[in-house]
Amino acid sequence: MISRRNFLTTIAVGTVSAAVMAGCGQPAAKTGTAENPVTINYTWWGNDDRAERTRKAIALFESKNPDIKVNGNFTDFAGYWQKRATEAAGGGLPDVMQWDLSYLRDYGQRNQLLDLSTVKIDTSNFDKSLLPSGQIRGKTYGIPTSTNAFAVYYDPAKLASLGIVEPDGTWTYKEFNAFMTEVGTKSNGALYGGGDYTSVWWMFNIWLRQNNIEAFTEDGKLGFTKDDLKKWWNLTADLRGTPAIIPEERVAQLTPKSPFGANAAATEVTWDNFMAGYLKDSGAKELKLVPVPSDDPANLGLFLKPSMLMVASAKTQYKDAAARFIDFMVNDPEVGQIFKTSRGVPASKTQRDGTTFEGTDKSVVDYEKSIEKYLKDAPEPPIVGFGTLEASFKRISSELNYGKVSIDGAVDAWFKEAEDLIKQNA
Amino acid sequence: MTTIATPTQSAPDAKAPDYNPKSDSVVAKRVRSTIFHIVALALVAVVLYPALWMMASSFKPNSEIGGSNTSLWSANFSFDNFVTAMDGIGGVSTMQFFTNSLILAIGAVVGTILSASVSAYAFARINFPGRNIFFGMMIATLLLPFHVVIIPQYIIFQQMGLVDTYVPLLLGKFLAADAFFVFLMVQFMRNLPAELDEAARIDGAGHVRIFSSIMLPLMKPALISTSIFSFIWSWNDFLGPLLYLNTPEKYPLPLALRLFVDQTQSSDYGAMIAMSMLALLPVLVFFLIFQRYIVEGVSTQGLKG
Repeated sequence: MISRRNFLTTIAVGTVSAAVMAGCGQPAAKTGTAENPVTINYTWWGNDDRAERTRKAIALFESKNPDIKVNGNFTDFAGYWQKRATEAAGGGLPDVMQWDLSYLRDYGQRNQLLDLSTVKIDTSNFDKSLLPSGQIRGKTYGIPTSTNAFAVYYDPAKLASLGIVEPDGTWTYKEFNAFMTEVGTKSNGALYGGGDYTSVWWMFNIWLRQNNIEAFTEDGKLGFTKDDLKKWWNLTADLRGTPAIIPEERVAQLTPKSPFGANAAATEVTWDNFMAGYLKDSGAKELKLVPVPSDDPANLGLFLKPSMLMVASAKTQYKDAAARFIDFMVNDPEVGQIFKTSRGVPASKTQRDGTTFEGTDKSVVDYEKSIEKYLKDAPEPPIVGFGTLEASFKRISSELNYGKVSIDGAVDAWFKEAEDLIKQNA
Repeated sequence: MTTIATPTQSAPDAKAPDYNPKSDSVVAKRVRSTIFHIVALALVAVVLYPALWMMASSFKPNSEIGGSNTSLWSANFSFDNFVTAMDGIGGVSTMQFFTNSLILAIGAVVGTILSASVSAYAFARINFPGRNIFFGMMIATLLLPFHVVIIPQYIIFQQMGLVDTYVPLLLGKFLAADAFFVFLMVQFMRNLPAELDEAARIDGAGHVRIFSSIMLPLMKPALISTSIFSFIWSWNDFLGPLLYLNTPEKYPLPLALRLFVDQTQSSDYGAMIAMSMLALLPVLVFFLIFQRYIVEGVSTQGLKG
């Protein structure tokens, strides 16, 4: 019998021992059986279309793995990161997540993500130059599902109507500038040559690589000098304020669409997997991709970047199930057939070869094949706070386009922000 | 006083034969009124233009929304966007999102009305020890930004295993956590004559009876403005459901709306706008039914507070 006097003690001891036992129970990874399956949570960002495709992929996975159930859920991109930040703080990250490269270092360094080299995932079919972009300090936090590469988009129909010859993708910066000027003058300002490509961070990154400079050093510092950035922003100095480059006021009016998507500019430099979005925004029949300009025809500075990665939570209780699901999502040819290029071009060779591409999908895959011989190693995962740096790069160069600052002033302003941020996160 | 008044009154009469000021003032009045109405209408047009833009865009194909298309009407008028919007997202029907939003909104209204009115009664009418301190603390929670409490609150609900249920979103409403509404009702109740409950007490009524038979009926304007605000706030809430709900089947409308726009893939602005139009309807209907009271409620408070 429990007396009134030691009742409280009994309860206290009971609670403590229960807590201890619960603590002991945690490290052992749980596995399921067909009769009693384990349930893992998988979350992704994306629209209706991706939700539909993912649903199909999950159904396929469950039919092949009856001992695992996958509970899928999704939100939009902006909300996705708000939600993850809260969950990470509260210790409730889902077991498996679709991930973006720019957040990998941040969460990886804070030990929120599982080191995937400790579990069984087949990476033998991946291009060796691609895998390091999912690794930080020797630990593999993310497995790329798919790749994208940088390209110049153009609408052949618009060029034909202006009587301009389509570019073949072997061009110097001078020739690219001349091309944009030609579009602007021939259309009498109805169609601009393009956006200011020097305001795009990744384009700058590629230009640095064409000059054999890495944007960030291994210890997370800036790898280029103020002079480099000055040279870069000077590339389009003569074009700003002419019909070759769309004015910043106009860009602001067109938001949320990009100038290219809104049919206001003839070209745009960005990732090749945005094809479907541009087709939908602009209503164009066909859009084409060519490589970015380079002053060194042998070195285009191009690389494949994981357009998305798969990661697992460090706190998942179902490591084995999570690993099997990730392996399935990145390697299974049938999954490739479901997603086509909606995540980017499949990264794993088995998945890429098992997928038939048509129409738009084919043009993206063909583009990545055409640049194969120029590809170099993907850069390391961006530094913590990279998103802020990229945004300030865009903001400061748009001030350049407004004519509010000189190039020297813009370079100083960006370097100050970048150095402050790097110091803060060091 | 009469000496001052007389000359001013007689002045117009004296001048009357000269140029008939009466008809002139009517014309002047008309001109002024016309100008006033034109200016007012122009302002209305400016203020309502975004709504008009939204309405017009919901009938346009996606590629003609925004960008360089500045015309309001499109030649390609169609209801396609509404069809897509009603199709639902990722296997969840749009009616499901509406139902979820309604459950949350009605739950919020019921919870807030019940809990806030009872707490307000305690603060306004019962002289319990530490009343002023508690009242001050409650007001202080108004000063606490929501973003400060997000993470601690999330951890609590996570530990309790209540994430992915409606409990975290509704529990606070039933516990009078919305200090704003409690404050609103306290202020309202303080202005009701205390003689009424004294009379009731003499007749033998306790707190429950006084609250339900005397106070609640008199508080109608405050209750209605509270319902309207808490309905609209819950209907439009994005962050709460985003953090606490995981299953798409449980999502309310604001979450669903964002799923049409995916910057990393393709965005269906048309369907999003069409669904925004549909999402607007219940709030609009709710407001139209109760608008008479909302003005009444706010004005009574403003005058007496």
